[in-house]
Amino acid sequence: MEEAAKKGRVTPLASLFPVEEAQKAVRRVHETLSEKESELDRFRGFISDNTNLINLVQKLPEGLHHNIMVPFGKAAFFPGRLIHTNEFLVLLGEGYHVERTSKQTVEILKRRGKALQSQVESLKATMQDLKAEASFFGITASEAAEGLVEIREDYVEENFTERESQSGPPKEHPPSFSEADKVKVAVEDEEYSCMVSRLDELEKAEYEAGYGNETHEDIENVAVSDEEYARMMSRLDELEKEELEAEFVNERDEDNAKLAVNDEKYAHMIARLDEIEKEPETECGNERDEDEKIKADFDQSSDQISLDKINRFSESRKLLEQTKDKKSATEETLDKRDTQKDLTDRLNCTGLTVQSRPKEEMSHGKGLVHGIMKSTPLEKALVLPEVKENVQAASSLRSEAPLQDSKPGFDSRKAFTGSIIERAHNMQTSSSQQAATSSQSTVTQPSKPVSRFKMQRR
Amino acid sequence: MASPAALRELQRELETKADDLNKIQKDISKNHQVRKKYTIQLGENELVLKELDLLSEDANVYKLIGPVLVKQDLAEANANVRKRIEYMSAELKRLDTTLQDLEDKQNSKRDAVLKVQQRIQSLQAGKAKA
Repeated sequence: MEEAAKKGRVTPLASLFPVEEAQKAVRRVHETLSEKESELDRFRGFISDNTNLINLVQKLPEGLHHNIMVPFGKAAFFPGRLIHTNEFLVLLGEGYHVERTSKQTVEILKRRGKALQSQVESLKATMQDLKAEASFFGITASEAAEGLVEIREDYVEENFTERESQSGPPKEHPPSFSEADKVKVAVEDEEYSCMVSRLDELEKAEYEAGYGNETHEDIENVAVSDEEYARMMSRLDELEKEELEAEFVNERDEDNAKLAVNDEKYAHMIARLDEIEKEPETECGNERDEDEKIKADFDQSSDQISLDKINRFSESRKLLEQTKDKKSATEETLDKRDTQKDLTDRLNCTGLTVQSRPKEEMSHGKGLVHGIMKSTPLEKALVLPEVKENVQAASSLRSEAPLQDSKPGFDSRKAFTGSIIERAHNMQTSSSQQAATSSQSTVTQPSKPVSRFKMQRR
Repeated sequence: MASPAALRELQRELETKADDLNKIQKDISKNHQVRKKYTIQLGENELVLKELDLLSEDANVYKLIGPVLVKQDLAEANANVRKRIEYMSAELKRLDTTLQDLEDKQNSKRDAVLKVQQRIQSLQAGKAKA
């Protein structure tokens, strides 16, 4: 069903609750129910016997003796007399008898009656539960037989990290994504799809806000390929961020051996990153948060500002990407901003996912920095802090790292072929930077600003 | 080839393990029955104790031993009933632990049986392929 193709899943109830099994369950419950009912009848019999006995015991002392027919063996009686009408031998249990008067006997019998009643009550409660169970099974069986279906849809807004329900394929995995991102998608989980969708939203918003006519087209085009690229971009962004952070940290930590090559450029980027990140002030819970923060940071600032930042970010990211392999990270919104072709490329490689989150809060920028810092130790020249599952292309990235350019143009491996340039001016700056830093720029700069997606499509 | 012989061997192993499993299951059900009996008796004894406590000191208590109704002392009867209750609770506890052991053994046997079955299946699949 289309729903399933898009966002939701339709599950026929019959698949979840097979018809035969439901019916069998109904039968089982009914059997148990009937057993309980027979027990209930027995108890009722006991109670009525008890009541009769009480009446008899109360009546007997009314006379000194009674003329009765005394049972003799199995099939005979003889006339006799009942004397000592107030003396009763009461069986207490376990072979113990006790002599009691009529009144005391009645008391004993009444106590027994109460015990019986409580047992009956508990039995009735059990039967109620069984009945409820049976009705549920019955309803399910009939529904399943009718072919009722259960429709599930994702609530994308909130639940990005929602895991697949046991009922099947990831709901959040629109087919369009998978097409483009086969390589990466395989590794990624829903988060990325979430990020992608977010990216799309953000992109659209940005475009609307920041661009004029040109962007309309772009938006359209973007919309088409957004999902595909968004992911990659987010990844790239993450990677870049990581790189940036790593760079940043490295410089601080004197781990510059690897960064030696890119130090100047990184420094620039890092500085920029810092600026950006300073805006979000929240603590960086985890890289994810940070990324988000960064993203939020971006989101919050005006588009232009964010564009600027994105520019720088993208630059730094490029560098970062080169140096970073993976980043455990965060879905960052950087992706949205940064998406330069290089970045996306690198992101793809490094699996950085940048998600543009609508407003995470300032912490995003900070997060990014933190993320970068976390990724500080660049064990190898290019080893970047772990990117979250995204890094498939880590190796490729590593190889590129020394070059410092992740070939923005494109990796045949990746869906994105070039860096994505978000904004006209960004692109230009970034592209120039890129050109300076790496040889990537194959696709980089068209004369006119083009949506990053377009760029990628070269 | 070796595989038919191996197959037969595995099947024999499966049978023995299945027998063990059956035995254990029978033990478990017997255990259940005994436990039930003891539980009922324990309940009865507790009722008796309650009634005896309600009796005054001079009441006559008789015990039915076979066809004979024997007069008993109230204190003696009380003591007897209490002792019986204690004995039965201890028995129940012992039965519980035995039941637990039996269940564990049953589970392990079941796993062993499954494993043997799997081996047989894989062997058969291998033979079918070849």
